[in-house]
Amino acid sequence: MNLIVFTKRVPATQEEELRITGEGKAVDLSKVPFKVNDWDNYSVEEAVRIVEKTGGAVTAVSIGDAESDEVLRRAIAMGAKDGFLIETGDVLHDPGARATLIQNFLKKESVPFDAIFTGVQSEDDQFGAVGGILAAKLGLPFVSMVISIDAFESDHVIARRELEGGLQERVKVILPCVISIQTGINEPRYVSIMGVRKASKVERKVFKAADYQENMVSKIEAVKWVYPPKKGGATILSGELEGACKELLGILKEKGVYQ
Amino acid sequence: MSYALVVAEVRRGVFEERNLDAIGLCALMEKDISLLVTDNNNEMNQNPPSSPFGKEGLGGFSGEKLVNTIIKVKIEEALFLNPLNMVGVVKTMMDSKGKPDVIVFTHSSSGTELASYVAGYFDLPLITDVNGFDKERDVFFKSYYSDKIFGEFRKAAQGPFVITVRSGSFKEYAVEKTTPPVIETIEDFPIAEGRNFMEYVEEEKAEIDITKAEFLLSVGRGIGNKDEIPDYEKLADLLKATLSGSRPVIDKMWLPKARQVGTSGKTVKPKVYLAMGISGAFQHIAGMKDSDCIIAVNKDPEAPIFQYAHFGIIADIHKVRDKLLEVLKG
Amino acid sequence: MTQTQQTQTRVLTCIQCGKCTGSCPEAGRTPFNIRMLMRKKQFQSVVEESIPWYCTSCGACTLRCPRDVKPSEVIIEMRSALVENGAIPVAIQKALENTFVQKNPWGRSRAKRGAWFEKLDIEVLHVSETESKRLLFTCCIQAYDPRCMVIPQNVAKILNKGGIEFGVLGEEEACCGNEIRRIGEVGLFDELKEENKTNFEEYGIQEIIALSPHCMNALKKEYGDLGIKIVHYTEVLAAMIKEGSIIPKGSFNKKVIYHDPCFLGKQNGIFDEPRSILNTIEGLEPLEFSRSRDNSMCCEGGGGRMFFEVEATYQRNAEVRVKEAVDKGAEVIATSCPFCVMTLEDPATEKGIAVKELSEILMEVL
Repeated sequence: MNLIVFTKRVPATQEEELRITGEGKAVDLSKVPFKVNDWDNYSVEEAVRIVEKTGGAVTAVSIGDAESDEVLRRAIAMGAKDGFLIETGDVLHDPGARATLIQNFLKKESVPFDAIFTGVQSEDDQFGAVGGILAAKLGLPFVSMVISIDAFESDHVIARRELEGGLQERVKVILPCVISIQTGINEPRYVSIMGVRKASKVERKVFKAADYQENMVSKIEAVKWVYPPKKGGATILSGELEGACKELLGILKEKGVYQ
Repeated sequence: MSYALVVAEVRRGVFEERNLDAIGLCALMEKDISLLVTDNNNEMNQNPPSSPFGKEGLGGFSGEKLVNTIIKVKIEEALFLNPLNMVGVVKTMMDSKGKPDVIVFTHSSSGTELASYVAGYFDLPLITDVNGFDKERDVFFKSYYSDKIFGEFRKAAQGPFVITVRSGSFKEYAVEKTTPPVIETIEDFPIAEGRNFMEYVEEEKAEIDITKAEFLLSVGRGIGNKDEIPDYEKLADLLKATLSGSRPVIDKMWLPKARQVGTSGKTVKPKVYLAMGISGAFQHIAGMKDSDCIIAVNKDPEAPIFQYAHFGIIADIHKVRDKLLEVLKG
Repeated sequence: MTQTQQTQTRVLTCIQCGKCTGSCPEAGRTPFNIRMLMRKKQFQSVVEESIPWYCTSCGACTLRCPRDVKPSEVIIEMRSALVENGAIPVAIQKALENTFVQKNPWGRSRAKRGAWFEKLDIEVLHVSETESKRLLFTCCIQAYDPRCMVIPQNVAKILNKGGIEFGVLGEEEACCGNEIRRIGEVGLFDELKEENKTNFEEYGIQEIIALSPHCMNALKKEYGDLGIKIVHYTEVLAAMIKEGSIIPKGSFNKKVIYHDPCFLGKQNGIFDEPRSILNTIEGLEPLEFSRSRDNSMCCEGGGGRMFFEVEATYQRNAEVRVKEAVDKGAEVIATSCPFCVMTLEDPATEKGIAVKELSEILMEVL
């Protein structure tokens, strides 16, 4: 099996207080550390595990600036054979533009594959759409929110998709196809610093995104960045105990965890 | 005629409530709304191959008047919710009815899968996870960076565009029309071979995995002693919550190790984390602070957990427990 | 000879005397048997993967070993092999990944590492702005945990009061790596070390006052020769009291039992300074544990155990420790390590006895 897996370097914003600059023009990420996108970490792990069983190779691909080489080294340390960087300094918000770039790249470089793996979404833009758009553009079957790959055969995969409320759906998908991986599908191995250093000895190929921009137009416009409505501290449910308890049950209902 | 198309999610015969958010957004956009929905009450669904589909028509959808048109699709739900078929359905529909202004899906497992495939297939602009709309400026809000920033987006191409809507964002805008909906039917579209539904699988519940629970009732040292545990188990049962605990509770073996939340136990991100008698030690907070909604019950108003909670009750936890049991039992 | 070969050579000299197991805080109560592990290492036989994670890195075995086998170092190598293999407990993995990204094991924002001094009523300078180039090295827990944040705050105030100039690195400070090395992530330890060393050099640091014994240990013994004087803050405060630059005026009328942190006491020989500070306080009645000084019982917070809980459930050392304190009639357990504070406080609260870090007691009487 030849698997292509996409991996993205994203800002680790979970703990940060983010600041918008230039009256909504940009979000200041200058002090934010970066890391591999969580979903992609699971996706790389899954691809590597499959290849360990079926044979073949995993090629990790990242779109981003030169720093994104870091996530490629990481993927190689996890077991990918090659790392390709499609280098661009631009932030591509539009998932359609990203998908077009990938489509052009795969075609022009004739990268062979039996399946393409992506994470369900990336932590920064949370679009969750590149996999689906890419699949449709390539005319390939698509399956997303994959929480288990039960079988990976020469011509098809049996995958389980995570739906809502503890329900899953088992589907059979014909190869080649695009598979978007959900977190929790596996336990990604730890990648040590030494491991990454060793992986650095494997050459990563760098391609210029500018060479693959045919028909690549952004179909959506990022107008402005704003802060979400303030949440404030805890709302204290006060008053009579019975009233507070009923209010609590109301919140549980609203959150959809209790009927 | 210009219209908005809402693709309804009917799962196992049930019309999902989040569809109302999709309808609500279209209402907010002041569009004529067409609801595309599987007609489960058709021949194909009389003897479903491997799943227990409901037979009550539109999955129990009783809000007919919320939309102008209902387009029943003669196809079973598992085929309908397959992105490969959805593009065929949408194409057939557009051929007969004309292109919609906007196609709206739910932002759910299937909603995003369908939306992205449709957008890619027809080469349409796509904005996902929309949680707000400013009509005057014609911009949609979408969350970025774990909800810390919202981006304002608008489409930048001619023709229809595709949106997925975050659950709970627009429901209240779905209002009844004065006239009953027009009912249309579509059939005869290609069924794709590339992906096939096999079966539904219920998540195995054999071994308790608190990291997968949507609703955790977590107890801490504040419960006092082991004899109190059964009553909290009862409460968890009635609330359909999973019981977990902080380190002191696990240490004393009042709850098994697998249920420990915190850096030395499991890191959890449920939809709701209801913490009872947990003061909020650093290591515990690190294991649960990313929960969507944190509710803390503690008698100490200074307990650090209140700094992280969205809601709080300052009271004796046993009294709260007993009152909840009383209310729940009716 | 590589380090692995050196270890193997050392291990071969083990005579299986069992002194290591005799001093080990995990022996007998958990499946961890350090003597047996050395035996297995001699024969290079398979060790069950969960076993090396029980070690608290207290260092007692290495101190007692008559053949200089350094069992605690052998454990680190066993862990290293697991780390390089990628198969480690999830909680440990998280701590390592967090440290890689945010330079602290909890993954808290690096930008907020200086939050502890922002609301202080004294001005805390960046070390580059000081005359003395004396650095107060905060430690991750004390920079972020609201419970332990008071320790750097207190020490900063006390130093200020005594006229000792100091500065901080703020968000430039990275985790010292003491626990990271003990978890077996050698590469990450090297990165942290290099990052800190670069800052030390850039700002011309002359002296480092470490607030945590764990940081002091790493800086002093595992960063190579820095040419910088490295001390624990209790050493500085003890000297200040002796010189009279700070004078405990108030009284503290309580029975206080002092718990020796492993990394301050048995691993670095600092026993007397913390005690001398306590002894100068009026009204304070000092007590001693039956196991104290270099025989002190480990609280089980070190060596990665802070981030990871072993599977076996057993009576924790912290509980044993608190029980003895209560039996001896102590009203306060004093210690001088954030790890010890955190592990001891849990059972202590239950028994209705307070755990105070030394600086907290001192603040009450100054």
